[in-house]
Amino acid sequence: MLRIASGSVYDPANGVAGEVRDVCLSEGKVVDDVPAHAARIDARGMVVMPGGVDIHAHIAGPKVNAARRLAPEEHRGDVVDRSAVLRSGTGGTVPSTFVTGYRYALLGYTTVVEAATPPLAARHVLAELRDTPIIDAAFLLLMGNNLALFDLIRRDTARVRDAIAWWLEATGGYGVKLVNPGGVELWKRANGNVTSLDDEVAGVTPRRVIDAIAGAVHELGLPHPVHVHCNNLGVAGNWRTTLDTLHTLEGRRAHLAHIQFHAYGGRPGGRPRSRAPAIAEYLGAHPELSADVGQVMFGPATTMTADAPVSAMLRDVTGGKWVNADTEVETGCGIVPFTYRERNYVHALQWGIGLELFLLSRDPWRLVLSTDHPNGGSFLSYPRLIRLLMDRDFRNEQLRRANKRAIRSTVLLDDLEREYTLEEIAIVTRAGPARLLGLRDKGHLGAGADADVTIYDERADREEMFATPRHVIKGGRAVVRDGELVETFAGELLRVTAPYDPAVEEVLRAQFEERYSVQFESYPVREQWLLEPARRIPVGRPA
Amino acid sequence: MPSHDPAGPLARSATCGGCGLVCDDITAVVGERGGLERLIHTCSLGDAWFAERVAPAPPIARVDGREAGLDRALDEAGAILAAARAPLVYGLGQTTCEAQRAAVALAEAIGAVIDPAGPLLDGASGLAYQTLGASTATLGDVRDRAEVVVVWRADPVATHPRLFERLRLPDPDRELVVVDERQTATAARADAFLELPADRDVEALWTLRALVGEAPVARGAAVELPLDELAARLRACRNGAILHRVRGHVEALALHALVRDLCRVTHVVAVMLRREANAAGAEDVLAWQTGYPAAVSFARGHPRASPGELSAATVLERGEADAALVVGSDPLEHLPPAAAERLRAIPVVSVDPRDTATAAAAHVAIATAAAGVHRPGVVHRLDGVPVPLRAPLASSRPSDDDVLWSIAERLARRREAPA
Repeated sequence: MLRIASGSVYDPANGVAGEVRDVCLSEGKVVDDVPAHAARIDARGMVVMPGGVDIHAHIAGPKVNAARRLAPEEHRGDVVDRSAVLRSGTGGTVPSTFVTGYRYALLGYTTVVEAATPPLAARHVLAELRDTPIIDAAFLLLMGNNLALFDLIRRDTARVRDAIAWWLEATGGYGVKLVNPGGVELWKRANGNVTSLDDEVAGVTPRRVIDAIAGAVHELGLPHPVHVHCNNLGVAGNWRTTLDTLHTLEGRRAHLAHIQFHAYGGRPGGRPRSRAPAIAEYLGAHPELSADVGQVMFGPATTMTADAPVSAMLRDVTGGKWVNADTEVETGCGIVPFTYRERNYVHALQWGIGLELFLLSRDPWRLVLSTDHPNGGSFLSYPRLIRLLMDRDFRNEQLRRANKRAIRSTVLLDDLEREYTLEEIAIVTRAGPARLLGLRDKGHLGAGADADVTIYDERADREEMFATPRHVIKGGRAVVRDGELVETFAGELLRVTAPYDPAVEEVLRAQFEERYSVQFESYPVREQWLLEPARRIPVGRPA
Repeated sequence: MPSHDPAGPLARSATCGGCGLVCDDITAVVGERGGLERLIHTCSLGDAWFAERVAPAPPIARVDGREAGLDRALDEAGAILAAARAPLVYGLGQTTCEAQRAAVALAEAIGAVIDPAGPLLDGASGLAYQTLGASTATLGDVRDRAEVVVVWRADPVATHPRLFERLRLPDPDRELVVVDERQTATAARADAFLELPADRDVEALWTLRALVGEAPVARGAAVELPLDELAARLRACRNGAILHRVRGHVEALALHALVRDLCRVTHVVAVMLRREANAAGAEDVLAWQTGYPAAVSFARGHPRASPGELSAATVLERGEADAALVVGSDPLEHLPPAAAERLRAIPVVSVDPRDTATAAAAHVAIATAAAGVHRPGVVHRLDGVPVPLRAPLASSRPSDDDVLWSIAERLARRREAPA
């Protein structure tokens, strides 16, 4: 039992914005009160928020591990020693698993979504998550270039829903991700790609895939709607594709991943421009839609994506290391280490578009914070991003350092004076993502919520404040005390329970025999060490 | 699911760990007394792999060659590793990811150098990968998409007997090209065979790069080979695959560079034909826990890696390692002679279901239940795809990971106990 006494509490889901009050924890949950003899943290002068929730990051699985192996030079300079509490490891933009868990916890984040899992590699993802301590984690299954699903979409659309539920159950997944639907399949065939939603791929089109899968996810009532990485990522003029995608989704809930990368004007092959205002406007007007920003931060990053043709393009930009990895039936993968430079037109434009989206957003509940870690920058850069949003003078100073032509192409210099409040930061970093994910016990501090709490010293320098929380409590246990990790333990796998008609298994068995190089019986994950501890989240229609 | 015919034996699903292909379509027919009667779908390597694991088991534990109780052997193992100043952890490619996780934890706890056997057995593309990256694919994509398959310096008919069956090769609509120093069994099945002397990889691969890039080629010795034709075939296909076991860093670098160049022209992938069932898993587990896939030292309390300097063979040859934990591997059979000699001179703990030369010579040898026969577990196939091993037979012995965690617990108790 613990009483966090007299802190300024930010719990936007419950309408609490900076009130000085107590937060009481017992048996892993937030409770209304605890007895007087309960342990206390004196939180006077401190800011108390729910634990952070990262809706879109790449932290576990074959793609992440391929990137780790690619960057020994990053690991050498950033090591973590073994101690009585910690396993050792290495950092950089793609830290080892233990270090990933530790550093998220030290940042006050307690829940993270791995955003792109090839279903065939679920065991690998789960094994890495088992070795990523403290945080609760969920993963999204890549389904936008799955030949077996394409076949069902073409011939037996009614079965798509059951097939998706089967896949989620077979792997321990939480939600459904589409990445450049159709485009990756063409890439694996012969280095092709799609350019519009109506290009033909294996008897379907991106539009048909988006429509069928978004519809199936909607009908299933998954807690998180379809999570879409649109076609034409990074291509000048792609804002039209993004809007076309949103039109195709219209009426159904959907989450758009790293929308910054999809908000570019100009002509394909030409110089990109900002179309952030149009995208922000559209999102603002459509309450069924949400997005994370995918902010680019200047400095080192590692791009890693199922959108393999984009990686090939980045390879040609950097001329450096590049990985391509094709997964049969399901997806592709590309990795390119990358550095964003403030003097570079395109990089500065990307940075500026991310900030525009944040500053023009009408509803923080539906446009939440991400850097698409580690694509736009490491999760360790979130505190700096928070300062950019909260501190206008700091932002303007940074604007002056960035490529001028790029910044002039944005509206950032047009009296965008907005400064995010602590309440808004609490929304875009925890309350909003938790709500969009359908995680009812996360992202708030009402009675019954998980006892995941972050306590910050109130400081004028918001970057410092958010980089070094004073205390972090996960599931009622103090993991960070006075800025030091004091205890570690396994977090939970958050997985969905979506019922399906077992008849779909025979349909899929035939698909497996034709297409996969593993047996149908080998595919579902059954190993308890991979699946436990876990929490099941049932489907249900959103209120 | 096991099917039970009351009159006959049980048919159980099994997965074979006989090579990196990890075929998971095996049926093990189990007799009424629980013994293995017959295997369906295995190749000769697979039969040998199962046979080695169901052979009359060595004593569960031996200390200095004499049979001992498991507890005593675990204590001895803990004592050897605790006393070592520069221990080595080696092997891992034939055990499960579960045991590999335990082995890395143990290596960290004792400040060991840990190096999977894979780099020694499978050639080394690790440094080439770190320098350039790679383009690769899972087996199903090679099977369904590659119009040209080049087998470079490998003889999978001998080392991966079911590879061509699984890739549906030879195939009249796809081209199979083999490049090797002599006419192997694999070469005999190829549409085209290029005989390339063993020391000419770099020259040939670099010439191919030039041809693929349509750069002028100085007509050196390698061009006696019909490389123009191979380059033209690769350029012309929509999707191609190179299956290889290149030895040596420079050769690997040349191969990765060729693949990268080809990828500007068309879609080409390379797959290393790893021999051991879980060699890929050993690299994966090490990489996710430490950031590095091989040759990792925990001597300073955090992971450092330096292939060459910290690889098992080098550490032994330099006489640095003063004790070794060998998991599921028989290094006395495959280490270079100087390294093997050093291994014979230091205390060794062997954890292996089989009775190997290394186990016979070890100070402590613990014979475990075999993953894939007596215990389930996860392995990463040569293309990285995780595949479950099954347990068609029963055993009361502990698994590799049980033993490794038990040793780790003993080490932790030693540290906590007052001196």
